[in-house]
Parts: sequence; C-alpha cells; structure tokens
Amino acid sequence: MRLRLAALVLGAALLLLGAFFSAHVSPIEAVTTLMRGSLGTPSAIGGTLRETTPLLIAGLAVYLALRAGLFNIGVEGQLLVGALASSLVALKIHGIAGVLIGIVAAMLAGALWSWPAGLIRAYRNGHEVITTIMLNNVALLMTTYLVAGPFKAPGTEEPSTALLGPGDSLGAIWSSGNLQVNVGLALAVFVAAAVAFWLKRTVPGYELQAVGAGPGAARFAGIDPKRTIVRAMLASGAIAGFAGAVQVFAYEHRFYEGFSPGYGFDALGVALLAGNNPLGIVPAALLFGILAKGGTALQIDGVPKGITTVVLGLLILVAAGIRFREVRAVA
Amino acid sequence: MSFAVRLTGISKAFGAVQALQDVTLEVAPHTIHALVGENGAGKTTLMRILYGVLQQDAGAIEVGGKLLRLRSSAEANAAGVGMVSQHYGIISELTCLENLILGAEDRAFLKREALMKRAQELASKMNFRFEWDAPASTLSPAATQKLEILKLLWRRSRIMILDEPTAMLGPADADALFVSLGALVQEGATVVLVTHRLPEVMSYCSRVTVLRGGRRIGDMAVSDTSPAELAKLIVGENADALGEELGHPAKPARAVGEPVLQVRNLTVRDQLGHASLDSVSLEVRAGEIVGVAGVDGNGQRELLQAILGTSPAATGEIRLNGEEVSSLAVRERIQKGLRVIPEDRHAEGAIESWSLEENAALGLHPLAPLAKGGLIDRNERQKLSQRVVDRFGTKHGGLSLSLASLSGGNQQRLVAGRAFELSPKLLVAFQPARGLDLGGTASVYQVMRQYCDEGMGALVISFDLDEILLHCDRVVVLNGGHLDEPSREESKSRDAIGRLMVGVG
Amino acid sequence: MLNVLFVTIAAATPLLLASMGGFLSERGGVINIGLEGLMLVSACVTALVSVHWGPYGGLTAGLVSAVLLSLIHWLMTQVYRIDHVISGMAINALAAGGTNFMLGEFSDPSRAGSFPHLPVSWFKVAAFGVPAVLWLFVHYTRAGLRLVATGSDPDKARLAGLSPVRIRLMALIGTGVLAGLAGSMLSSDTGGFTDNMTAGRGYIALAALILGGWRPLPTLGACLAFGFFSALWVQFQGQVVFGVQPPSQLWASLPYLATVVALAGFLGRNRTPAGLGKH
Repeated sequence: MRLRLAALVLGAALLLLGAFFSAHVSPIEAVTTLMRGSLGTPSAIGGTLRETTPLLIAGLAVYLALRAGLFNIGVEGQLLVGALASSLVALKIHGIAGVLIGIVAAMLAGALWSWPAGLIRAYRNGHEVITTIMLNNVALLMTTYLVAGPFKAPGTEEPSTALLGPGDSLGAIWSSGNLQVNVGLALAVFVAAAVAFWLKRTVPGYELQAVGAGPGAARFAGIDPKRTIVRAMLASGAIAGFAGAVQVFAYEHRFYEGFSPGYGFDALGVALLAGNNPLGIVPAALLFGILAKGGTALQIDGVPKGITTVVLGLLILVAAGIRFREVRAVA
Repeated sequence: MSFAVRLTGISKAFGAVQALQDVTLEVAPHTIHALVGENGAGKTTLMRILYGVLQQDAGAIEVGGKLLRLRSSAEANAAGVGMVSQHYGIISELTCLENLILGAEDRAFLKREALMKRAQELASKMNFRFEWDAPASTLSPAATQKLEILKLLWRRSRIMILDEPTAMLGPADADALFVSLGALVQEGATVVLVTHRLPEVMSYCSRVTVLRGGRRIGDMAVSDTSPAELAKLIVGENADALGEELGHPAKPARAVGEPVLQVRNLTVRDQLGHASLDSVSLEVRAGEIVGVAGVDGNGQRELLQAILGTSPAATGEIRLNGEEVSSLAVRERIQKGLRVIPEDRHAEGAIESWSLEENAALGLHPLAPLAKGGLIDRNERQKLSQRVVDRFGTKHGGLSLSLASLSGGNQQRLVAGRAFELSPKLLVAFQPARGLDLGGTASVYQVMRQYCDEGMGALVISFDLDEILLHCDRVVVLNGGHLDEPSREESKSRDAIGRLMVGVG
Repeated sequence: MLNVLFVTIAAATPLLLASMGGFLSERGGVINIGLEGLMLVSACVTALVSVHWGPYGGLTAGLVSAVLLSLIHWLMTQVYRIDHVISGMAINALAAGGTNFMLGEFSDPSRAGSFPHLPVSWFKVAAFGVPAVLWLFVHYTRAGLRLVATGSDPDKARLAGLSPVRIRLMALIGTGVLAGLAGSMLSSDTGGFTDNMTAGRGYIALAALILGGWRPLPTLGACLAFGFFSALWVQFQGQVVFGVQPPSQLWASLPYLATVVALAGFLGRNRTPAGLGKH
C-alpha cells in the first residue's frame, strides 16, 4: 500500500518535472524563483497574503458545501456576482455604511446565484457540478456585459466600473514598511474560525455534516436532507459572495472584466487539501497564495501560468489518494 | 471413498481476527451436505473460499479429486463450482435473461432468440416459468431464488453452494426449493447448504458439519444425530439455557398500561399506487413487547417508516401516548419519546466515517441536555456516548475513533444502546439483535424488558419467528400488507403463525 | 432557417461524441466530470501535431492524449479508489493547465490557426451513427451486457465472475477515444486552438447524457437541443429581435441557461445507473 502511494507521488513529481523541462526551465531554478517571488521580500509577502485572502474565504465556501456532500464548483460565479453587487452598492452609498451594505448585498447575490443549484440537486437530483458550472458561465457573461455596458465607468475604454472613493474601502490592519496586511485578511481568518466553530459546536452544523456523511442515517435521525442541502448551498454561495466583496473593498476598489483569475477553482483545491479540519483551510490557502504569487514571478521567467493549474490538479490527486489510505487504515 | 469436494486444513485470518482455523470439509457426491453454525462461525467465509472469492491462508481445495488453486469466482465456475449467496446475485436493473447469462455468455454477440429458447428449455426442466424480457426487479424473493438456481444450471455447476437460501422465503416456498434441490441431486449435482435452520438439516440433508468460532466442532451423518445435539454443538456452553428457551415457555401475564402507540387504518402506497400496507391497525401498550412476524417484503419496512415519519405517502392515524402525530416531522416524534433501531445499520442507523461519540448522539442531538439553544454540549455528549457503549458492552478503541473501526456486532450494540437513551416511550426495533451472538441478543431483550417494566412499550419487527416467540408478549403477523392478530390459541402454535405468515389461514 | 439547421448539427456533433464517451464511462459506473478535460487536451494536441504530421497524424495524437488522460481517471478511481468527482475535477485542472502550457509551444501562433483540416463533414455524419452503434453494443454484445451489469452493481458483477476494474479500463479507453474525437472535431472545425476553447461543452455533454436518462438515442435528442441554442447565438447575435437588440452575451448564455432549466425541469425520473461512483 505504501508502495502504491509512493508511486502516486513519484508519478505526480515526474509529470511536473516533464512540464518544467518542456518549458525549458530547470526545476530548481523554478522553485527558487517561485519562493523568492512569493516570500523573498516584504512586498512579495504582502502580495502573497493578498492572494491568500480570496482563496481562504472562497475555500471556506467550497469546504462548507463539501461537508454537506456538495461540490460547489460555482464559487467562481458566486464570487463574481457578489463582487459586482458590492461595488455597485459602494458607488452609491459612501463610507462605512456602503461597505457594510455592500457586503450584505454581495452575500445575498452569491446566495441567490447558488440557490438554483441547491434546489435542483435537492428536488430534481440534478448534479450540482453541472448546474454550478453552467451558472459560472452565465455569471461571467452577465457581469462582463454589465461592466462593458450599463455600469461602465464614464470616460474609459476599459470594461470596468468607476473606482470607489478613498473612504469606501477596508484599510490596513497592520503595516510596516512595504508589508501591509489588510483588514480583509483578518476578516478571512475570522470567518474560518466562525465556520469551524459552527460545524463543530452547533446543532445545524452537526446536521449539515450528517447529511454529507450519511444522508440515509440523517433522515432516520430527523434531519431533512433536501432542506439541509438547499441551506448548505445558500450558505456556501453567501460566503463566496463575501469573498467577492472583501476582494473589492480590500484590494481592487472596483469591478472589471476578468476580475477573478479563477479564485473559485483554486478554492476547490484549497478545500480538498484541507481535509477534515476547517482550520486546515488556512495553511492550504497560504500554500495556494504562495503558488499564485510565485507563479506570477515564474511567468515573467517564461513559464506559462498554466503551471499553477497543473500543480493544483496534481495536489488534488495526491491529497485524495493519501486521504483514502487514512480512511482504510482505521477500518 | 472419493469426495465431490474436499477442503483440508483451511485457515483464514482477517487482520487480527482468525476467521477459520484448520477446517476440514468433506462432501460426498450427489448429496445435500449441511454446514451449520452461529453467525460469525465462519460458514460464509469457508464457502467464499471454495467459490474463489476469498483465498485461504493455508489448506487445500480438492474438487472431484483434483487439487485446485482458486483465485477468482470465474475459476471456480470453470471448475464446476457455483454459489448462491445470501443476498442473491441478481442485478435488478437487468432483465431475467441477462441475469441468467451474465458472466457465462457463450459468444461475443448475443442472439437473444436462441438464448431465450435455451433458457426456456432449462426452466421447463425444473418446472419454472419466467418472463425472460422482464426486469429482474419485478421478481418475488422466491422467483429470485429460482433464477439463482437456473444460473447454476446454466453454468453447468456440479457443486452448488447455497448460503441461507430460505432466509427470505416463506415455509411453502422453502419446501418447494428443497423439492427442486432433491431433483438436482438425483441428476448428479452435489449441494452444500449453509443454514441455521435445524429442521431443514434434519429433513433434507444427509450429512452435517458444525462450525463454531472458526473451527470444525462436529461432522456426522444426519441419521446419527438429533436437533438437540446439533444445537448443543452449535452454541457450545450456552446450550442448556438455549434448550430451555426453545420450548416457548408460557409467559406470565403482564400488567400492561396505557397505549403508547395506536395505529388506525394506516395505508402506505408505493410509487405505482400499490398498497404495501393496507389499512393496518395496531396497538402497543406500556409494559408490553409486541412482535411483528412475517416473511421479508410484506410491509415491515413501510410500517417502521410510517411510524417514524419518513414515508410521505402514509395515510391514517398514528398516536403516540394518545397524541396524534401523523402530521409531525421525524424530529418531533423523537422528541415525544419515539426511538428506532433501524433495519440497515449502515444506510439508516449510523454514519461509518463518524466517531462513536458523534454516532451515539445521532437523532438525539437536538434534545436536552445534549443541545442548549442550538449549541452542542460536548460534556453531556461525551457522558451519553459512554453510557451508550457501556450498555451492551460495545468493544471499542476510543470514543473519538470512527464507527468503521468497530466490527458489525459492536456497531449494532452501539445503535441498539442509543435507542434506550433520554427516556424512550416507544421503541420500534427492526431485528434489534442482527449480527449479535446469543449473549448479546439476550442482553438486548433483557434491557428492553426492563424498560418496558418501567413504562415503555416496544414493537419488534423480525423475520425470525423463533426470536419473536421467545421474547415477545404478543404476536401480530404481516402478510401482503395486511396485519393479522392470531387468537390466543393460535399464538401458541408455531405452525399456525407460520400459516398466517404466508396467508393460508 | 437552413443555416440554423446546419449550425445546430455542427454544434451538436462534439457534444454528441463527448456524451457518448460519457455513456461508456457512466454506464460502467464511473462518474465522468473529466469529459471537458479530455476534449480540451485532444483539441489542443490535434491542432499542435497536425501542423507537423498532417490531419490524421494530428487526429491520432489527439486521441492518444485523451485516452492517456482517461487512463489517469481510471487509475485514480479504480486503483486508488478516490472520489470520482474529485478525480474528474483534477483531470480538468491538468487539462486546462497543460493546454495553456502547450499554447506556448505553438511556434507560430498565426499558423496554429491554419493547420491542415480533417474532412470534418464526414466525421459529423459518422458521429450521428455512434448512438445507434452503442445501443446495439449494449443490447446485443457480451461486452455491452457486462458493462451495464458493472455499472448497475459492481459487487454482484464481481460475484458473477466479472472484473469491474478491467471492464472499466476498457470503458474508459472508449471514453477517451470518443471524447478525444469530440475535441479533435472542435479544433478542426474552427481551424485552430484557443485557450479553454471547450468552454464547458464537456459539462453540457454530461448534462445531455443525464437528460437522456443514460440512453443513447434520447441523449442524441438532448445534444441536438443544446446545439440548437448555440445555433441561435450564431444566427441572431447583433440582430434586432422584437424591437430590441439583445447583448451578444445573452445569446452566448443560452446553452448554459438551457442546461440549468432542463435539469430543473427533469422530473425525478431516476434512471441513474445504480452503481455510479461505487467500487
């Protein structure tokens, strides 16, 4: 068994090495570039933390759904509609009120976007992977249309909303020289703790996980799987929308075409890597943050950005392979 | 003497558990040979080794005098060994014909007409009839069993292993099965019959081998033994207690109290509109254990689900402690003191990947003191789970380990133990002692009795008539969705109840 | 109108081939979210290799690449026994990342758009024969029967002497070939490869399979319906309809919205292979 696992890790490593060689980059050099680009300087670390923030919150959205047995691939789309909703609110309402209402609007938009997937899964047995991916495409097209048309900032060529006012955002919670840590990251860590507590210590959290781990037994225990599935999907969508809002208020200060470089998909890797422990999301998100920030440095070196997606795929496979062994070892 | 099958010195271990130890089984050709023993004695494991599904750690397999190494059931088939397993191998999505030929199709392209003709010939030889193009899901348990036997004939199996073939059959169908088996033996087949029903052994088998705890305890001609002796061999030291109990002693009249469960005109329809329960009325009073006897598939599951509240298609009246609950959700019924031991531990009773502690609270989790204002009290939950595992002596390696780390019997102990927590008023138990040994079974019913004496009522659903007659105060019978209550006189006669179970009054 | 018909068929072809690939896999009990990735890799490899080795060399290379990726899915789900959906998502990530990587290998990006073409129309005609062939396969061959038995109940199939792992290996090779063919059609039809050019078609193909109740001929109908919505986009974008000019994004959303609506209206008639996702 251990041999098989070694073969899996070796296979993944070989595939990765092959990728580096085909891009004519030495792996050692690539890793050095990656580490230096993500952790080498204070501003690099700041950039890594910035990348970590949306991955952490979106990862929690995926994780919560996963505990209910749902693959919410739609976090990408939910994040997009959330981000757009929050920036539109903050362009009308200023100050801290705008930020708060913007966050609520983003969560509502995200939940609304995940709702059909939850309903179709619960009452029509239509797989949520398909519906959420379809809704991702619709969200991308819709938000693109809206920022290229009705909500385009006046006087620019770029499909983007206007920039938020200076008071309409989240500031730094801590800064020293080039290294800034935004309130957004603190919010993300807080949400991680809240989700962990909710799952472990509350009755609804217990019930959500019962439906994910044993829907039949849950039904006999007086838990309605259908209703729980819809609620889990709504909560997941709301968190995804929250991720969009934090991204707008903490870092981007506007919404534009191509707002998300695929946070929703990376979030899937974050959640799968975290395993059974919600707090495991924090280091997993940090790892993906390093990959994302370091990946940009690699790109400058001529390695296509696809490399990070390949790494994501391999990490998912290896993590899932290891996890299966753990489960079997107990039985 | 030459044997049709000869297993010598077979040993097999699963992890630390020694399932079989140096077991020898010799089966004479053209006979029905019985293999008996308690649950977990190793009967099925031994047969799975003979059928190539499992591989022995030590020992030899000879079939027809030839030494074989079987690495798969396909190889066993090729050697003429076929097996009908306890839960059948019929795939309900395929048609009867497809099930018959699966794995033994003679050519790459299927000529349905020709295949059907051959199937028809085979069936008429045994006096069976099948709608070959109908999906197998439409078959009754008895017809499924017949199709299984035809599968063995289709594969030209000379050695037929039947694992508990009558477990899901009524008495009449069981008799018919043995007539067919007799005919097959006449024509040259050899049958190994795994069973725990001693009357079958005495009436139809020529030789019997007894397993206990993975060892061969006895091997004799049936004509040289008696049910009492076999029972003694099967259970070992508990034999005396059992012998006494098998005589269905008259139970003392119990003082019963107020009704805890009243069911009136309960009807449950399946998706096709067919009534799987047809205006059933039933009462359970505080202090009594009522047994529901019947052959599998006659409305037992529907009855449990309707009382619990998981079947939406139920009409009629259900009262718990006098209060109408048929419009209440499962959770509210649990709150009012309803407890259930479900039939299927894995799919309904517990969550394998969860810890023992989490499982011990499942269903009770929203009740005080486990939950306060929507928050889980970990302290209380831990205390509860300790009580649950202690009640029936669940052997475990820690409350935080997953349920999957327990053996089946220990999982059942936990699920049964949970049902007695937080003041139950009514217990509905579906084969509560499933997978437990005699001692475990006795203690489950002992605790049930104790709670009933303190005011609980219990409804026990079982396919094992002896278990019901032994432990219940009153018997009702489910047959084809109808519920009959035998008269006092009939209740004393095993045969009379058996007739009600199959609808021959 | 005739134009709409042609575009419908053109758009339906890759969907049909991919969903038939999904048919082989899912009837054998393997959930296959990875159709998208198989198509994407094959589309990219076909375009890359055709430049050097001609259209049939490109097609062959495309199919081989899709089969290899499909074998990774087999390895992970059957040997390592991980969750089928997780493995499928990883396959898609490998494909998306890998093709983005290969994009840099198009030595001359302008030539990537003009590689030697396959006679696509003949392949399209052949594609519409695939559902009938698969129907015959399932009903009249030993291999087809064994595939369906495995997908319905792998444990009982094992009891009948079959080897689900081996049967699924064959099925996933078939999936690789058909989904690979779908990918090759895609890049051959448009004459080039662009990043993420499948744009969710693999998932739509899977939705068509579900809506078709895992049966070949109804699935063909579902693919044509999705093709029709794509045709509307090509036909009507930029035009005035009912006095307004809908944005092109609305037309582009139609196939996706249609998928969601169709799944929502798919009344719980459950024909799901009972052994889907089981070992």
